[in-house]
Parts: sequence; structure tokens; C-alpha cells
Amino acid sequence: MSERQRANHEHSEPPAAERIARLEQEAANLKVRNSAKRDGILQAVGALVMVAGVVVAFVAYQLSLDKADDRDIESLIILAISMLGVSVAGAAVFLRYSLARFLRFWLLRQLYEGQANVDRLVGALGQPNSSEEHEVAGSGGKS
Amino acid sequence: MSLVRNGREPADAPLLELVGVRAAYGGIEVLHGVDLAVPRGSVVALLGANGAGKSTTVKVAAGLLPPTTGKVYVAGRDVTGASCHDLARIGVCTIPEGRGVFPNLTVRENLWMATQVSGRLDSLEEGAYARFPLLGERRTQLAGSLSGGEQQMLALSRALVTDPAVLVLDELSMGLAPIVVQQLYDIVAQVAQEGISILVVEQFARAVLGIADRAAIMVNGVVAHAGDPSELQSELSSAYLGENE
Repeated sequence: MSERQRANHEHSEPPAAERIARLEQEAANLKVRNSAKRDGILQAVGALVMVAGVVVAFVAYQLSLDKADDRDIESLIILAISMLGVSVAGAAVFLRYSLARFLRFWLLRQLYEGQANVDRLVGALGQPNSSEEHEVAGSGGKS
Repeated sequence: MSLVRNGREPADAPLLELVGVRAAYGGIEVLHGVDLAVPRGSVVALLGANGAGKSTTVKVAAGLLPPTTGKVYVAGRDVTGASCHDLARIGVCTIPEGRGVFPNLTVRENLWMATQVSGRLDSLEEGAYARFPLLGERRTQLAGSLSGGEQQMLALSRALVTDPAVLVLDELSMGLAPIVVQQLYDIVAQVAQEGISILVVEQFARAVLGIADRAAIMVNGVVAHAGDPSELQSELSSAYLGENE
């Protein structure tokens, strides 16, 4: 629990100086992580590893076709399969960090659409019923 | 690299400071080197016409948009790139443009969200309803069904129950009647008297200049003028109407 939480649990209204002192202390202890930059870097690294893995696997396989020694062939095939594994890992990293960004936007869109729907609903509920108005107006005219 | 602002004791540093901040949406740069400071216990008004870059400045200050270059300092500590929830947790609380209440939750449930930072709901409610009695009467009403002014009160109360040291308000008056805006700014003035430092971003200058200790005018992504509110009256018309000086 942070100092802020502890202070609020005590139900007291802290003076300004105390509030500022708390901010200074918490700012000093804050570990800044630039997550957007890190996500971008990891996404790029994932894409690079994915492509490089496939390319190296293909090259290793092609090279193995020209070899006569079974040990060379085995080594190259092992390398090719390992590189396919690396490529799959790269694809997973790429998907993880590209999806995280996509899902953030998706969540924002859901929030925005939810708010727009409620606004529409509240707007519709707030409007007087037009048919009732006509009826009231009509009966008023007759009397 | 030092995380503390060069040549300045942390005790003297403004609570919130932007230095040479540039920010962009994709390839389009909208802030071209913004310098802005919110000194301790003061109300700073950031004014400017639509599209001047005020809300983008708020996003950078709140950690919602990382600057491309430049630094953001909180109490003299470099927090550039810190996430908005980290800044909110340490005491820099932002009320975004458009109020940011959860429309399909009740007033009480909206306040409940603040318990993640600030403790028990009953004590939070007590504080919030003491300041905004109207919200107490509507505690079970959906936030989306409140009037614009009441939603803004809810957003303010939710921010205040977290006991922030710095409050950043973006376009408090948006879509509200002048009398409601005046009521809200009266509340902001009370909050300022309690020692909370406030950065108010506002398109309608008249509403905020009455409570501001300092003001800055943004034009085309830079702070064109800054100073005492009374000194900036003449600059306002050129900032808003684009007249040449």
C-alpha cells in the first residue's frame, strides 16, 4: 500500500505541504518505463526474428541439398529446424505486441461506443413523446 | 543521465513542468516545443483557440501521449514516458475533455473506481457528497443520465477523492451553460485554496482567468505568451482571432 493510500485510510484531509511532500516522495520512487517505445521495439524485433528464421531455415535447407556428407546434411537440417522454431517464437512476440496495441484501441473503441449508445438512449428518453403531444394538443382544441 | 532537473533543487521545482515538449500524432507534429510550468499551490490557465494544441499538451502532461522530444517533470523529477496510471497514482490527476465518467455505471459506482487508489468507498462518498450534495441525491442514478454539469461534478469529485497534488482539467466548460461553468469554477477556486496545484486548459478564457494565478496562451502548438492573467488580456484577442501584433 502506498503512502497515499495509507493517508486516505486515516480519513484525514492532509494539508497542502504534506500532499506535496508525498508527491515528491512518490515521484522520486517512480520507476518510469516507456512501455509504448518498448512495445514498438519488441514488435519490430519479433517481426525481424520471424522473417530471419524463415530465411535462414530455407538457406540451410538449400545448402544441405548440395552436401554429400551425412553429418553436414544433418547439421544443416538441424539448423533449419531450429530456425523454424526461432521463427515461430518471433511470430509469437510480434503477435503479442501488435495485438496488445490493437486490443488497446479496441477497448477504447468499445468505451467510446458504449458512451455514445448511452448518450443516444438518454437523449431518446429525454425527448417528449411526439404522438402524446399531438393527442394533448388535439383534445385541448376540442374542449 | 540525471533524472532530476538540472540546476534546480527539487524543493523549488514546479510541481508539473513541460520543457521543450514536441508531440505528434503519427507523422503530424502538433506541439512544437512547449514550455509550461505549474508552480506549487498555483492555478495555471492554458488558453488558446480550437486546434492550438491545448488538449495535446494535457495528454502529454497526463502521460497519455509520449512526447517525441522534450521532458516532463513532476516535482523536479523526470517522468517523461511514464504511463498515465503511474502519474495518477503518484498524485497527478487528469480530468479529460468530455468528462470521462463511466456512463453506464451509477454515481456511486463511478466513485467506487477511485477506491483503487484511495481506500474505502464509504469515506470517499462522505467526502464527495459533502463537496457536491447534488451527487449524494443522485448516488444511484446512472452517470450517463446526469446533466453535463453534474457529470463534470462527478468527474471532479472522483478526481478529488484520490487526493491529488496536481489536478489537470481539460475543457471543464465544454458544452455547459455559463451559469454551470461559473459554479464549477467556484468549486475549482475552493479546491485551489486547499493547496492543490491546478492546470486548467480552457477555450473560453473569461471563465478561468478569474481564478488563475498565471496564464499561458497557446498558438499553433507553442506557448506564445505567458504571465500574469491581467497582463495577457491584450494578447488574447490576437491569439483567438489571429490578428497580427
